[in-house]
Amino acid sequence: MSRTGVRLRDLLGEALGGIGSRPARTALTVLGTVLGIGTLVTTLGVSATAGNQIAGRFDAATATEVTVTVAVPGAVGRAALGNLRRLNGVTAASGYSRSRKGDELPVRSTLLRDPSRAALRKVPVIGTDTAFPAAARAAVATGRFFDQGHLDRRDRVAVLGTEAARQLGVTRVGNQPAVFVDDQAFTVIGILGTSGRTDQALVNNAVVLPWTTAERTVRAGPVDTVLVTTALGAAPLIAAQAPVALSPNDPLALQVSAPPDPDSLRAGVAQDVSGMLLVLGLVSLVVGALGIANVTLVTVLERTAEIGLRRALGARRRHIAAQFLAESMIVGLLGGIVGASTGILAVVVISVVRDWTPVIDGTLAAGAPLTGALVGLVAGLYPASRAAALQPAEALRGPA
Amino acid sequence: MTEVIRLTGVGRSFPGDPPVHVLAGVELTVRRGDYVGIVGPSGSGKSTLLNVLGLLDRPDTGSYLLEGAETTALGDRQRTALRGARIGFVFQSFHLMDYRTVEENVMLGGLYTGLTRTQRRDRAAEALDRVAMSHRRTFLPTRLSGGERQRVAIARALIGAPALLLCDEPTGNLDSVTTGAVLDLFDELRANGTTLLVITHDDTVAGRADRRIRLRDGRPVPVAAGAPR
Repeated sequence: MSRTGVRLRDLLGEALGGIGSRPARTALTVLGTVLGIGTLVTTLGVSATAGNQIAGRFDAATATEVTVTVAVPGAVGRAALGNLRRLNGVTAASGYSRSRKGDELPVRSTLLRDPSRAALRKVPVIGTDTAFPAAARAAVATGRFFDQGHLDRRDRVAVLGTEAARQLGVTRVGNQPAVFVDDQAFTVIGILGTSGRTDQALVNNAVVLPWTTAERTVRAGPVDTVLVTTALGAAPLIAAQAPVALSPNDPLALQVSAPPDPDSLRAGVAQDVSGMLLVLGLVSLVVGALGIANVTLVTVLERTAEIGLRRALGARRRHIAAQFLAESMIVGLLGGIVGASTGILAVVVISVVRDWTPVIDGTLAAGAPLTGALVGLVAGLYPASRAAALQPAEALRGPA
Repeated sequence: MTEVIRLTGVGRSFPGDPPVHVLAGVELTVRRGDYVGIVGPSGSGKSTLLNVLGLLDRPDTGSYLLEGAETTALGDRQRTALRGARIGFVFQSFHLMDYRTVEENVMLGGLYTGLTRTQRRDRAAEALDRVAMSHRRTFLPTRLSGGERQRVAIARALIGAPALLLCDEPTGNLDSVTTGAVLDLFDELRANGTTLLVITHDDTVAGRADRRIRLRDGRPVPVAAGAPR
């Protein structure tokens, strides 16, 4: 008696022959899985793409900004800023002290009796160092910013925020206009542009003085806020290191606000977008699986005589089961491949239309066809067991 | 001459009220090279006997030796293996797969008996040659006449060099001309040493056999030996 093993290649050949004999039906059956896998791949791909897109925009704007608020006055000395600047990833750091909220200093420009202009304004006054424009992301629009020389000499110079300059009627600095802060004259040497930091709208309204000058003239206090800009991706690290660098004795005196981790943000967005569609895709997949199960069952009933013949030719029950499992698995695999392809294509098309960069996970692209095959395999379990259970003598009398 | 089949006291009944005794006390011996025709009207137990002989069904009583080995005690798996390797089936309705070529249909014969693809292809060519169908190798069965289809089915049965060719109404779907051609083929196979057992309701078909057995109410009744050619 010869052995009764059937080679895998022969088994696959028989399975392919089986599904190839009814191409139209196979195509329709495949379609169910194509829809399911296609929806899943499109959903996951589009949400990953959209999430990446939103997070990307977020990165550029705020993911490089760290703000340290000093809760205990005097916890941060000016010298400590040097420690912060030395950290790898810091591109600019500047500390400032500002006049107390609700107790702003009166500021006016030249003594000109102009009834259309309010004589006195309460304006926040900031005393800071030379790194301020970089750290606050406010370029100098007109004139210049003060330098180390101004600081050392405690020069009575001022730089105006863009909104403060408008309110005070200062438009140019060539004629050396003066502003009076608490009735003390300061020469305006520059006007800042709008600050790029969304958390620092204050900068636009402020009068900015060298901190040495502010200390002497308007009794400005110690550093109460430290602005830091970092290299891309360094913000979370700097946020963790900044308190120790600034206030080694009492890091807890500082409150650090840093942007949320871009990765978690991205995942959050992806989750929001995909929840509903994901459910839809899974439902399609289940429907696809039921389709495969149904068609395979019909096929088993139609091919009863063939099953009988194969049993007469020496096929064991497991050979019959394996053949129908292979057939349903191939149908699922085909659906998975076609579905993954159309899904990826859809993601690319949507990305092109929206001017996005398509993001497709390699695992997703590889896993989708395998998922299809698995779906086919599971769907084939019941029909295959039915086929294997047929009695050969009765099956031979069944429909051809 | 060695025995291919020895049935002793084989009985088979089906549940019912009262139970139907389809076969009862069947004694039958077929030797290598025999050409046996079994005839009987419908309901005489022909199909059941065929199923028992083909290891598709198991008798309730008695013993069935196939090439000297007791089969009634074998497990399903061993019976299946024995069936695939030692018995070639020829059916009334041919049981060819319409969407596979003649060659593929014939190659199916060795699929479950451990032959490699190459071996199966070689043997299929040989078997098609024996039934004079080599020229139709790449045809689909739907394009063949009934007689040609049956010859392809016979080739499929021959591919594993079976000990017994079990034919169930092999000419039932054929007209008299093609019936004659198939019966001529049986004669040739017989002349080359194949053991043939043909079950039919047609006396003329059974008449071509060396030995005729008539089934009546589940019991074989020997008939005078068919006229040798």
